[in-house]
Amino acid sequence: MKRKTKKRLGCAALNIVFILLCFVTLIPILYAVSVSFSGAGAALSGNFSFIPADPTLENYRAILFDEPFMLWLKNSLLLSAGTVAVAMLCGVTAAYACSRWRFRGRRAVLRVLLVLNAFPQVLSLFAYYRILRLGGLLNSHAGLILIYAGSMCVFAIWNMKGYFDTIPIEIEEASRMDGANDAQLIWKIVLPLAKPAIIVTCVMVLITVWNEYLFATTFLLESDYYSLAGGLYQLQSNDYTRSWPLFTAASILASLPLLLIFFRIQKYMVSGLTAGGVKG
Amino acid sequence: MKKIIAVLLSVLLLASLLAACGTSDEPAGGSSAPESAAPASEEPAAAPTELTVWHDGDETLMQAIADTVNPMLADSGVSVTFEKRTGLSDQLKLYGGDAANGPDMYLWAHDSLGTFVAMDILEPLGNLVDESVWADYLPLTVDAGQIGGTQYLLPVYFETLLFLYNRDMWQGEVPATTEELYEYMVANTDTAAGTYAVVNQHSTSYNVSPFIYGFGGYILDAEGNPGLNDPKTIEAVEYNKKFADLEADGDYNTVTTLFNEGKAAAIIGGPWLVPGIRAAGIDLGVASLSDMTLPNGSPLAPFSGVQGIGVMKAAAETNGGAIALALEALASPEVGIALAKAGGCAPANSLSYEDADVAADEIIAAIERTAETAKPMPNAAEMNVMWGPVDSMLAAVNKSGQDAASAAEEAQAAALQAIADMQ
Amino acid sequence: MLRRRAKPWLYCAPALMLILIIIVFPIAYTGYISLTNMNLYHWQDYEVIGLGNYARALFKFDSGFLSALGTTLLWTVLNMAIQLAAGFLIALGLNAPGLRLSRLYKTLLMVPWAMPAYISILLWRVGMFNTELGLLNKWISALGFEKVDFLAGNGIAFVSCMVLNLWMALPFMISTIDGALQSVDRSLYESARLDGAGFWTQTWKITIPSIRPVIAPSAVMTTFITFKQFDIIYLLTQQRGYMTGATLNTVITYVHQNAFASNNYGLSSAVSMLLFVIIIAFSFATNRSLRED
Repeated sequence: MKRKTKKRLGCAALNIVFILLCFVTLIPILYAVSVSFSGAGAALSGNFSFIPADPTLENYRAILFDEPFMLWLKNSLLLSAGTVAVAMLCGVTAAYACSRWRFRGRRAVLRVLLVLNAFPQVLSLFAYYRILRLGGLLNSHAGLILIYAGSMCVFAIWNMKGYFDTIPIEIEEASRMDGANDAQLIWKIVLPLAKPAIIVTCVMVLITVWNEYLFATTFLLESDYYSLAGGLYQLQSNDYTRSWPLFTAASILASLPLLLIFFRIQKYMVSGLTAGGVKG
Repeated sequence: MKKIIAVLLSVLLLASLLAACGTSDEPAGGSSAPESAAPASEEPAAAPTELTVWHDGDETLMQAIADTVNPMLADSGVSVTFEKRTGLSDQLKLYGGDAANGPDMYLWAHDSLGTFVAMDILEPLGNLVDESVWADYLPLTVDAGQIGGTQYLLPVYFETLLFLYNRDMWQGEVPATTEELYEYMVANTDTAAGTYAVVNQHSTSYNVSPFIYGFGGYILDAEGNPGLNDPKTIEAVEYNKKFADLEADGDYNTVTTLFNEGKAAAIIGGPWLVPGIRAAGIDLGVASLSDMTLPNGSPLAPFSGVQGIGVMKAAAETNGGAIALALEALASPEVGIALAKAGGCAPANSLSYEDADVAADEIIAAIERTAETAKPMPNAAEMNVMWGPVDSMLAAVNKSGQDAASAAEEAQAAALQAIADMQ
Repeated sequence: MLRRRAKPWLYCAPALMLILIIIVFPIAYTGYISLTNMNLYHWQDYEVIGLGNYARALFKFDSGFLSALGTTLLWTVLNMAIQLAAGFLIALGLNAPGLRLSRLYKTLLMVPWAMPAYISILLWRVGMFNTELGLLNKWISALGFEKVDFLAGNGIAFVSCMVLNLWMALPFMISTIDGALQSVDRSLYESARLDGAGFWTQTWKITIPSIRPVIAPSAVMTTFITFKQFDIIYLLTQQRGYMTGATLNTVITYVHQNAFASNNYGLSSAVSMLLFVIIIAFSFATNRSLRED
């Protein structure tokens, strides 16, 4: 009985801590939401409240309909999907190889990859320009996908390899006896078991694409091809349209698609290991 | 450990081979690319030629230019489209010499002209059109587009800082001296309540230029030498500090929001602020900074910026004829009139002022008046590296309380180093 | 036999090709440019001039650089320590049995992650830290205190930048550690409980050792990202037109300010290559945490 109350108390305390934590984390977001729904004057008024006094949808309307927001969103989704596909395909196979087989040069390659990652990518602008021009990929999404996937590849390999290492090899050996080939093994066994790592990696790749504006605004020559980040970057850099409520509305709108994706994938975040009963 | 280095070295070697191929390919890539991408230019003039102009300005203004120029060009089959490129000067560093992907022309402020000329990516206008094309232009704007006596930029419109005030808030006349202005500011500023008499981007070189040049100081002289530790520059920076203390945090968002939301009675800013101010419903009054004198008796002397069109060398080789036609159309007074109506831009072509609406525009009149004491921004290549050190100096003095003389010495040293690094 | 030896490389080939083009080539290219006189005056007609740029680049690694290096190390260590500790505690809390709303909390805590980075930075610069528009200062003045300029002094600007960095980076840490916690074999806890181990003993003896190899890659990557962090410090304190008076510099912002502003690509490439070497040296120092087998 006493133990139960103690447990309940602990749980209540934990809940309070998390509620506070969530609130503190969300302050800037709540602020942005509130400003985005208010008219021009709200940003400066002395007694700020999280619920705007005079709510209006005007800022959202302006972003959604006066700007090619939907087009940029579509481009962002396209770029994200392409990048995730390329990066994961390259990443998973390499990570699997590095995790499962002890081949010569494996450790060296892994180390070198990590070291290469230390090069500040901003400095690569000129080199990328040369590559893309050579390959005729300027002003194309394919070129950007290549850059994004390449820059996330090292992370993907390392992150997934770390997780693959925790999956007992015995499971695979059993299936291998049943005649499964490597592709089947990875697809049917390793990937489901490594779900948390796969998802975190995918999300990280996704976010990189979602965030990136410099390469997007540099290597895409028509603003119709821009990603959301690129488009909004161009918008906010314009002296004439820089309005604070408008900017906050744009930032909320830019975050919403990713938030929706987060919500969707929450339930897949539970590891196959805990759910599947690998070891008794 | 050894293995890592071995692999690293071999990878680098492989990559440098790759790099070598990539770079040796370049001339070939450069010459073959236009074939695929810009076939239109090699055909007879009757074929439609679409010229692209990159800019990083306001799209409604660019639309106004395009709408004026394109009907004039309709018969020749040439058309002009404007494309916004954020971070234009960095973009031109990549695309400036790229005939296939880069623009035919660009429209941008004249202070970066020296950089582009040094890079050798611009075509002198004299090679394309006759000098008479800009004969009617205001001399100030023509000079701003020259480097070493060669005209590279066809001026379109020009800007200076103005004293913009809210008629509902400002009491009495706009002061005739900066000292009176300061007294007004002391009497009407309540920093704790967040209400201000005047706001200014007080730690930004461009916005402090009225003081620096008014005091007789300078940022960069005609020979490309920085003058940050010139006694007169230091004096100006010190004088600016006393205003800065009453001008809120000098960042762009803060000062424009304060003014647009009626928390500041006046703002020192350019005509580009006007559409936002009008949209905020403020009864805007405007005065010229030239009408305000410093304690030394000189009027304030802000920078003037000329927005002009430059022609890319790579484009001139293939599209020269079409570009010449476009330049002639762009030089017509109608362009200036359209811009003046679209956004209160002061036209570079003096003939544009014969239009009744342009002549009657209060903002344009104020800019024109200011042009009398304004100092065109230096357009030497060195100017490009000056903004950083000057901004640092101003921030150090205004925000960190560093004394002006020592901040100036540091900034001067940084500027000299940056200029030396250019070579 | 040959096939067996080639197979792992075959599996790695797509990734290695991609990395070769996107990561290695730019490094090699920067190395090549560092040997040339590419600058404004030789923009298209540059030629190889040898190691001259390196001799000049060495002067960029002066006392200012050393102090920036110090700041960067402090910045990296503090950020990583707080991130790992806070991330671990929060993830542990989220996995506490009986916390029914944990999924909701988790999602809410992920929200900052969904916002594009530069938007977050601008949002904080204006919406939180600004003296006139910022929420923090509104609260401070509402409480009757004097306004605080959160970005002006070096000390306070460092803390402000760090708070923002944590806000932006924690969601990743939390979800990585959360994912890692899922990989811990439950049976280990059961046997430990049978041995009478309490919660903290279990955490110390089972949880941490089990998740270490899983989060190590992410931790190392984050360390690099933190070390290389440019946007936060640049956009908060030294963007042109928005300088706050703080003279806080990390190695990257320092090099940006002192070597890149002049558009001398030969010189700045040489500085970049040297900086790359320094970061590699730094990475060997962190290598120990990566002992994977």
